[in-house]
Amino acid sequence: MPERQRIATTKVAGTWAWFLQRLSAVLLVVLLGIHLYVSHFMDLDSHVADEALITFEDVTVRLDQLLYIVVDYSMLAMVLFHGLNGFRTVMFDFDMFIRRKKTVDAGLWVLGIATMLWGIVILFPFITGG
Amino acid sequence: MKIGNLKWLFGKNSEFWPTNMKTGMWAWIGHRITGLVLVVYVFMHLSFLSTASVSSGGFDSLMEVTSQPLFVAMDFVLVIVVIYHAMNGARVMLFDLGVGIRDQKFVFWACMAIGAVLIVAGLWAVWDLIFVPSGGG
Repeated sequence: MPERQRIATTKVAGTWAWFLQRLSAVLLVVLLGIHLYVSHFMDLDSHVADEALITFEDVTVRLDQLLYIVVDYSMLAMVLFHGLNGFRTVMFDFDMFIRRKKTVDAGLWVLGIATMLWGIVILFPFITGG
Repeated sequence: MKIGNLKWLFGKNSEFWPTNMKTGMWAWIGHRITGLVLVVYVFMHLSFLSTASVSSGGFDSLMEVTSQPLFVAMDFVLVIVVIYHAMNGARVMLFDLGVGIRDQKFVFWACMAIGAVLIVAGLWAVWDLIFVPSGGG
């Protein structure tokens, strides 16, 4: 029964993990909508004729505005939390590493924070314009 | 994890054996598979963007490659994966709120129907990029 499994998992994974997974899910749907619209549908002055093509300059034009920097960074934070917490849930669902929960949690936090810092640095060339 | 555990989890008498699985279980498995795919994608997405740290020209040529029909088609597969994950996630959250548990099969297919509409809309949006050859440049 999936129900039985899910209740058991909530117990193992914790109520905060459960709640924040849902909160980040809702935020991600909103942020992903903005992200896709801004990346692929919004008109940009610098945009060349080929609409499939995103150029470095296109991204620079967008990330010239604080709003888009905030959107991108908060989306990355949400996606890392949701993705890694989801991965943790999948492991616990299949009875993997439950006895090493603290190690798993610490490892995933380190991975998440390191990836967040990497992601912050990745956007620097776009923000500074080269 | 021992092999014995795997047999208990995935063997013929287990709840994960395909003929033992019903709608809710398939939905649950699908949610986990699409979730893992999306985690892998996020890391790929970051590494693609990181090419801009090397040179803006390198980023532009990478974007030229990824705007080819094959890659746009792969993007569309990604859209399908996201829509499934989001619609099934909405279903899970409805159940968390106590809504529709008794009609869980109907709720699943209703969510999938909405997802199908969104996928068709997505296909419409990317159709030209996949099937209409651009004049180059």
